[in-house]
Amino acid sequence: MKRLTPEEIVEYFNDKLKENIKDTKIERKTAGKKKNEFCTVWLKVDKSVFKDAVRELCGIDFPHFAVASGSDMGDYIELMYHFSVYYGERLKEISITISVDLPKTDLRIDSICDIIPGALISEREIQEMLGIKVEGIPDNRRIFLPEDFPEGVYPWRKDEKGPQNLVRDMYE
Amino acid sequence: MKKQQLETLKKSLWVFHMNTGSCNGCDIEIVAALTPRYDIERFGMMLVGTPRHADVLLITGPLIKKMEDKVKRVYEQMPEPKVVIVVGNCGSTGGVFHESYSVAGPIDKVIPVDVYVPGCPPRPEAIINGVAKAWLKLERLEGKK
Amino acid sequence: MSKKTTYTLPIGPIHPALKEPVAFEFETDGERIINVDFHVGHVHRGIEWIGMHRNPVQILYIAERICGICNICHPIAFCRAVENAAGIEVPERADYIRVIMAELERIHSHILWAGVAAHEIGFDTVLHLSWAMREKVLDLIEYLTGNRITKAIMAVGGVRRDITENQYPTINNALNYYKENLDTIKSVFLDDKSIQMRAKNCGILTKEDALKLCAVGPTTRASGVKKDVRVDQAYCAYGDLNIDYMTPDLLTGEVNGDVYDRIVVRLLEVEQSIDLIEQCIDMLPAGDIMAEPKIPKLLAMLKKVEGDGIGRAEAPRGEVIHYVKLKAGDAPFTWKVRAPTYNNLLPWVPMLLGEEVADIPIVAASTDPCLSCTNRAIVIKGNKREVLDNEALHRMSVEKTRRLAL
Repeated sequence: MKRLTPEEIVEYFNDKLKENIKDTKIERKTAGKKKNEFCTVWLKVDKSVFKDAVRELCGIDFPHFAVASGSDMGDYIELMYHFSVYYGERLKEISITISVDLPKTDLRIDSICDIIPGALISEREIQEMLGIKVEGIPDNRRIFLPEDFPEGVYPWRKDEKGPQNLVRDMYE
Repeated sequence: MKKQQLETLKKSLWVFHMNTGSCNGCDIEIVAALTPRYDIERFGMMLVGTPRHADVLLITGPLIKKMEDKVKRVYEQMPEPKVVIVVGNCGSTGGVFHESYSVAGPIDKVIPVDVYVPGCPPRPEAIINGVAKAWLKLERLEGKK
Repeated sequence: MSKKTTYTLPIGPIHPALKEPVAFEFETDGERIINVDFHVGHVHRGIEWIGMHRNPVQILYIAERICGICNICHPIAFCRAVENAAGIEVPERADYIRVIMAELERIHSHILWAGVAAHEIGFDTVLHLSWAMREKVLDLIEYLTGNRITKAIMAVGGVRRDITENQYPTINNALNYYKENLDTIKSVFLDDKSIQMRAKNCGILTKEDALKLCAVGPTTRASGVKKDVRVDQAYCAYGDLNIDYMTPDLLTGEVNGDVYDRIVVRLLEVEQSIDLIEQCIDMLPAGDIMAEPKIPKLLAMLKKVEGDGIGRAEAPRGEVIHYVKLKAGDAPFTWKVRAPTYNNLLPWVPMLLGEEVADIPIVAASTDPCLSCTNRAIVIKGNKREVLDNEALHRMSVEKTRRLAL
């Protein structure tokens, strides 16, 4: 398949997933003396097509999955999956971030481990850190937090489920 | 103090190193202290693989909650007389990680500490100095017996 | 015939080189490993959570302490994430100094690793040889930054210390030292028969597995995957430099993805780093080293920024990625750190399956998490418990080398 430019990638997703692509942004930055540029493509997709978006991404090039991050935005949680494509050639890599909003009333997302097995650790992490249920995850255990960590406390949450009560008082 | 240092060593110190959540900065400086430039083995000090053989417990890193019981267990396994050295700021006070939800606090909350080596990370010379101080204390403890 | 019994062999959890130390659980049939599981998180310090309560300049201090060995790459990735989010232009000179620092760190880290790897197979002479050589680069780092380990040189929008012309002779002197002496280590690792016997065809990671499990750094390059952020993306000054992917076929003509190939890649990268530092010094542009030298002004500016930024950097162990979300306030709204070993955990499983227990230290160490302090292992044999400590496991590895050498 032909190598796509960042604009063509956005177009490709708009084509395939139509109105389920909520927002797109292309960010170009330069560095060094020669001002070579590197691009980041930000895609916001609807929750219902998240897994399809990852599948379509594999249609461009097998992506390198870096990590998933999450922000507690109040009534919803914004999950971001950071990928990159076209690595393996000088200065051609494009970062692609697929983000999805999950309302706090329905914190579920599909596992992408069947497409990219390397996503397992990130999925275990978002489960324990944000209290999101990853459906179809091959390994459901905690990863970083100890087994006796209190249930219902999620360190990355900014609401009442955050870890405030576990923090040591330094003046004690 | 000076006179004491000139006395011959009665025994060589065996050191057990334990990481309770360190960033590895102190750990590589401890290994640097073992290798040719600083060569702590000149003074008869040696890292051993089990606390049961050790005179000195060298601890790096803030105390992560998951490691709390493990530190206690290692300390109890060591034979008397024993001394504990904390290398680095995090173990002495909590350092930059003092406020985290997963840090239980400085090491001295759980076990008694004899020597603190401050620094982030301390230089190998400081670590050797700390171990030498521990040796003086050990000699005193031995003398009391 | 009775049913085959398998043993479960837990190793760990104390483990120094990672953000997360690892406890392994191996199911073994005799000497062969048939199942691998690992537990991480004994050093989970909640760094990201702490970061969400500090301002970006304070976070730099924590970012340096994510890993004591990669303490240039994490600050670079964090600074780039903040700079990308806030649209700060880094001065060219600062870009070049960042590269010099990152490459010095790579030299120190790879030589450190070479020593640890030699120690794991019972070759302590090489441990001392390589760590003695490593002191030279630490001296240079101390000369340039003032610190041996945590360099404290990165700043949001630039670097904190300049490199002046009167420092060039010392830099060249150190680089020449490595050019002259690196061959000693190279010949030990590449030509020594016992290292070849322990490392060749051991702990194989296929190209397909490396891609699927998203391995990074020398681990993935040794399997033939061309992935190196320095080459893939124009970050810092890497876009200007002459640089290529280091894969093992450059030296040996073939890619096997075994421990030996991972050694080859790292040795090649030390040479590459020396070359990159020389290129940077030749091309070092004049100018400022900070976009905004007044910290209060910078913080006041960052306070108003709303946006997301990603910073990628190539650490000695692989790709580091930081994600920062700034949302008008002192502290970043979200900060996510991904260290390279995070992605190199899963590749351990295919590497270790089918290997012998005595190969665990060298295979696990070959992804560079430094399994130098694996604390103890317990062999559960029916109802009996035998405790194998780090020393015993290390001894088994050493004995295997001796057996092969006879």
